[in-house]
Amino acid sequence: MHLKVTDLCKFYRDGDCLIDSLSFSLEKGEIASFFGESGVGKTTFLKCLSGLENIDSGSIELNDRVLNSFDTFVTPQKRNIGFVFQDCPLFPHLTLKENILFNLDINFYSKLDYMLSLTKLEALVDRYPHQLSGGEQQRTCIARALIREPDLLLLDEPFSNLDTAIKNSIRDEIYDIIKILQTTTILVTHDIHDSLNISDKILVFNSGKLQQFDSPENVYSHPKNLYCANILGGVNKCVSPLKHGYIRPENIKIVKFSSIKLIVKSCIFEGKEYKISGFSNNQSWTVYSDSSYKINDELNLQFEESDLIEFN
Amino acid sequence: MCCIGIVLILLLPIVSLCQKAFESPHNDLYYLWDSLLLDYSLNTLYLILIASSVSLFFGIFPAWLVSTYQFRFRNFFDLTLYLPLAIPTYIMAFTYSDLLSYTGSFQSLIRHHFPLASDIVNQDYLQIEILGCILGFALYPYVYTAARVSFGFVGASYINMSKNLGLSNNQIFYKVLLPLSRPAIFSGLFLVVMEILNEYGAVKYFGVNTFTTGIFKAWFSMGNEGTAIQLSFFLVFFVFLILFIEKQSQKSARYFYKANTNKIVLQIPSLSKQVFIYLVCVLPLILCFVIPFSHIFMNSIREFSTIDFGHLFLLCLNSVKVASFSALMIVLIALFLLFVEKISKHKISTFLNQVISLGYVIPGAVIGLGIILLFTQTPYFKSIPLVGSFFVLIYAYVFRFLAVGKSPIKSSLEKQPESFDDTAKNLGLSPLRILRKIHLPISGMALVISFIVTFIDLLKELPITLILRPFNFDTLATQTYEFAVEEMLQKSSVYSLAIIIMGSCLLILLKYITNKQINAS
Repeated sequence: MHLKVTDLCKFYRDGDCLIDSLSFSLEKGEIASFFGESGVGKTTFLKCLSGLENIDSGSIELNDRVLNSFDTFVTPQKRNIGFVFQDCPLFPHLTLKENILFNLDINFYSKLDYMLSLTKLEALVDRYPHQLSGGEQQRTCIARALIREPDLLLLDEPFSNLDTAIKNSIRDEIYDIIKILQTTTILVTHDIHDSLNISDKILVFNSGKLQQFDSPENVYSHPKNLYCANILGGVNKCVSPLKHGYIRPENIKIVKFSSIKLIVKSCIFEGKEYKISGFSNNQSWTVYSDSSYKINDELNLQFEESDLIEFN
Repeated sequence: MCCIGIVLILLLPIVSLCQKAFESPHNDLYYLWDSLLLDYSLNTLYLILIASSVSLFFGIFPAWLVSTYQFRFRNFFDLTLYLPLAIPTYIMAFTYSDLLSYTGSFQSLIRHHFPLASDIVNQDYLQIEILGCILGFALYPYVYTAARVSFGFVGASYINMSKNLGLSNNQIFYKVLLPLSRPAIFSGLFLVVMEILNEYGAVKYFGVNTFTTGIFKAWFSMGNEGTAIQLSFFLVFFVFLILFIEKQSQKSARYFYKANTNKIVLQIPSLSKQVFIYLVCVLPLILCFVIPFSHIFMNSIREFSTIDFGHLFLLCLNSVKVASFSALMIVLIALFLLFVEKISKHKISTFLNQVISLGYVIPGAVIGLGIILLFTQTPYFKSIPLVGSFFVLIYAYVFRFLAVGKSPIKSSLEKQPESFDDTAKNLGLSPLRILRKIHLPISGMALVISFIVTFIDLLKELPITLILRPFNFDTLATQTYEFAVEEMLQKSSVYSLAIIIMGSCLLILLKYITNKQINAS
């Protein structure tokens, strides 16, 4: 294993638990998303990995080297972990090039041109950070982190300060760069679409505990619990005597005859299709349709039993 | 219009001085050029160089350590390292010259315990180098304050980033913190330089010829008004040259960054680092506050039986009266000018506010001379009964210290978004009601801070008060100076002590208020 986190615990200063017994591992070159809502400790987790904060118990191993355990603490300066912070702190008194070369071992200087071309920053080397756009700043931070050939790259909500219009292209560019360089990466995000687009694995984290660690496909089709199921598009609760479980709205069909009825309460046009909300068997349900319906229309619904999601 | 009127009235002394400078006979100018100017310029530059170096050393390093490390008495140091601001430069100079004199505590101690070394330490300490160090002792808090605030603003992100990129704490200091704080440190240093140029009491006592002493000498001792005017003119030119250099250096920084809201996590220093921290923090505290304060305190106790408490009380009352009234005027005028600028959004208002702020960089002696010229020799303003009145004294104070009072109010008003004013206008509020209902409640504490910082400066002020005070009117500052120049340093101590105690109490109050504001935000 390239990165191995075992029983990592981190407490708040008042003693409350922020991260409780977190364990997972990553292979070399894998990209994992650490998904969770605001305030669950995502940034703190990255700080623990990078050595900016000490862990309270457990261990972190990277590249067969213990970085942090009961009796070991490797300082952040010596971990060889690249960190792209959320607010993208480029040093304002240095140019783009100086920022990338900041405190860099001279052996890596030869990689500058390659890194600049990879991040498409060749024409901007003499600009100061305030003369760069949000996307250019983000790419500079990535270049500064990657030129050092880190054993692990940490991305803390790197797209949160970007406009939706450029966010997708920047995300794709960063994904390409990371994959070309085969850098093991952990992306922290509260936007599930970022996780789905960029990750080999998703680590769903809530209430201080790891909820699920799996591929995006498995988190979607076999969520461990309702929280995991809900983060990838929501589910409808099925409580009929014959069928028990949860069903994703996109797996429900509207048919002419069925025993499952839905009374329409709202019908919203979402571009590609209509999102229809209503009540079925006293449960609030959502389905999608190509056609529009009126409020209080009765719809007949049908789905495959194999699409039902059941939790342990 | 009212705003333009106020600014023009305040600028009159300088206009009058400039006009007179060109009217003065040319032979005065040759005399000035031949005999005084080079000497005054070199002395002033040398003094600036020494005092600035000491201020930078005593200001930057403690600010870095207090901002970065968690150690015992950190809050105590953070508070007390500001306190030398309560000791006026001239009192610091009188105290150290007394301490270092042949009969002073230092030499007496050496003679008593180390008789062999007594000849070595028996020197003439009234030298420009010693004066430079003493001025640095009194003025370093300007650099400390600027650096402390700036290091705090840099915040945790840059520090964490630097650590992640492999920088040690020392490297972070000189590769990240110092370059990012350079503009702030330069601003602090600029204030130090301005104070040195304004200095009169200390340089006169040490017999060092600078522009300010030259103005006093030419005017009062030689009765040569023309030379005094031209020297003032050169001094103003010198000041503007430094101001230009400062502006250029700020411009050349070519970068800006948003203040980081993530607080720096204070680090626990190693044992060896702790020794270094205590050394660096204790040294300025002892040299710049504890020693002068204890010396003045001990002298005051020795003089206790001879103190005329009635006279002391009267002088305290005079100082407080004139300082508080002037500070109040300054706060009100500053609020008015800044509010007009904010609400009108006129470029001319901004320009006028910038021009009027230059009063702080013009030395007190020049302002004093300008005002006397205005009210004695300028047509339409000749009104001799006004010279030597409280009106003229307060007029001069307002012009000189308006920039000091404006600063906290300006930063508070700038923090309030334009949408506040727009919403209020939309809700039908007149400008006056916007001020009363919105800005005054929000900026209330800024007004208090503005009053306190101006009051402290006015309490210590010497050159303007010496030139423009009404007949038979003394303040604590003038009384201290008069006893000191008569070589009655021990007698002057109690008046110095009163200034220092009042100043220290107000500085502690100021620190308490600003801390409370920071925590609240």
